[in-house]
Amino acid sequence: MKYKTVQEQRSRYHSGPFSWKAGVLFLCSGIGLIYYFRYEKARMERKRIAEATKGVGKPKVGGPFELIDQHRKPFSSEDMKGKYALVYFGFSHCPDICPEELDKMARMIDLVRASAPASAPALLPIFITCDPARDTPAVLASYLSEFHPDFIGLTGTWEQIKQVCKKYRVYFSTPDGVKPGQDYLVDHSIYFYLMDPDGDFVEAIGRQHSPEQAAAIIKAHMGDWKK
Amino acid sequence: MGAGASKPAPKISSDGTPIAPDRTQRSQCWEARDIYYGCLDKHDILDSIAEKDKAARVCAAEGRAFEANCAESWVTYFKKRRIAEYKKNKTLEKLKVEGAQDLR
Repeated sequence: MKYKTVQEQRSRYHSGPFSWKAGVLFLCSGIGLIYYFRYEKARMERKRIAEATKGVGKPKVGGPFELIDQHRKPFSSEDMKGKYALVYFGFSHCPDICPEELDKMARMIDLVRASAPASAPALLPIFITCDPARDTPAVLASYLSEFHPDFIGLTGTWEQIKQVCKKYRVYFSTPDGVKPGQDYLVDHSIYFYLMDPDGDFVEAIGRQHSPEQAAAIIKAHMGDWKK
Repeated sequence: MGAGASKPAPKISSDGTPIAPDRTQRSQCWEARDIYYGCLDKHDILDSIAEKDKAARVCAAEGRAFEANCAESWVTYFKKRRIAEYKKNKTLEKLKVEGAQDLR
């Protein structure tokens, strides 16, 4: 660069390297970096939750099972592969918590599906009964149809259900060999288990989450999925 | 069970198993429960199991309607839950007075 006078050169020197262009560039890249770091931090946090539950060998929550759905068709853990699944354990004779939670679950499913990109893996709403003696496929069919048409309701023998509950770390207190028509309640855990397309447990969603919050959590995990 | 009030017989599913209460029956049960609770509140009864005789005397009609609209196991469950909820709220209030902060 050439300057006509010494003064001119001196003034340029005094303005230093801080021109307004450099300032704007500095601010923009700073703001950009802040956003990027925040995004990455949130992503890493979700990855940590998802990875923490993956384990090296067997997953800690979930695992293979074979049950039947409300249409008497066999349904196994293999049918969950390649899809996300939201798994809830309950029973149809539940007084107040399960129906509230199932209404919430239906809302979550609709919220996620309404805004998920077409390329995202599917999300299956799965209800597994803790009360196989009373929750036969026909009972589940009429019960679940009041919540969401896409619900998959699973039941099996007392032993099969006990094993599934064990795999999902669900507290199982259902008595064996109850008489038909007997009136009793069942204790069970009240979490939604989000399972990834590999069949691995991702995160538990509890009663404290609103359907909107839960849908946001699910969508964020689905957005991270690359395979 | 409540004299005179007959519980609607449970519907039977196609495979012969009784169907669980549906959405309408559930809300009828919850409504009857809340009316019963309201009566208990009015008469200062928290534990309607321990104060069975008093509850039966002052909230007879409400109690009968409650039992007529809900399964027996539900009635017992709700009576116990009322006490548990009360204790939970008391504890929360106490913690708040002591200056505890809400997590989240």
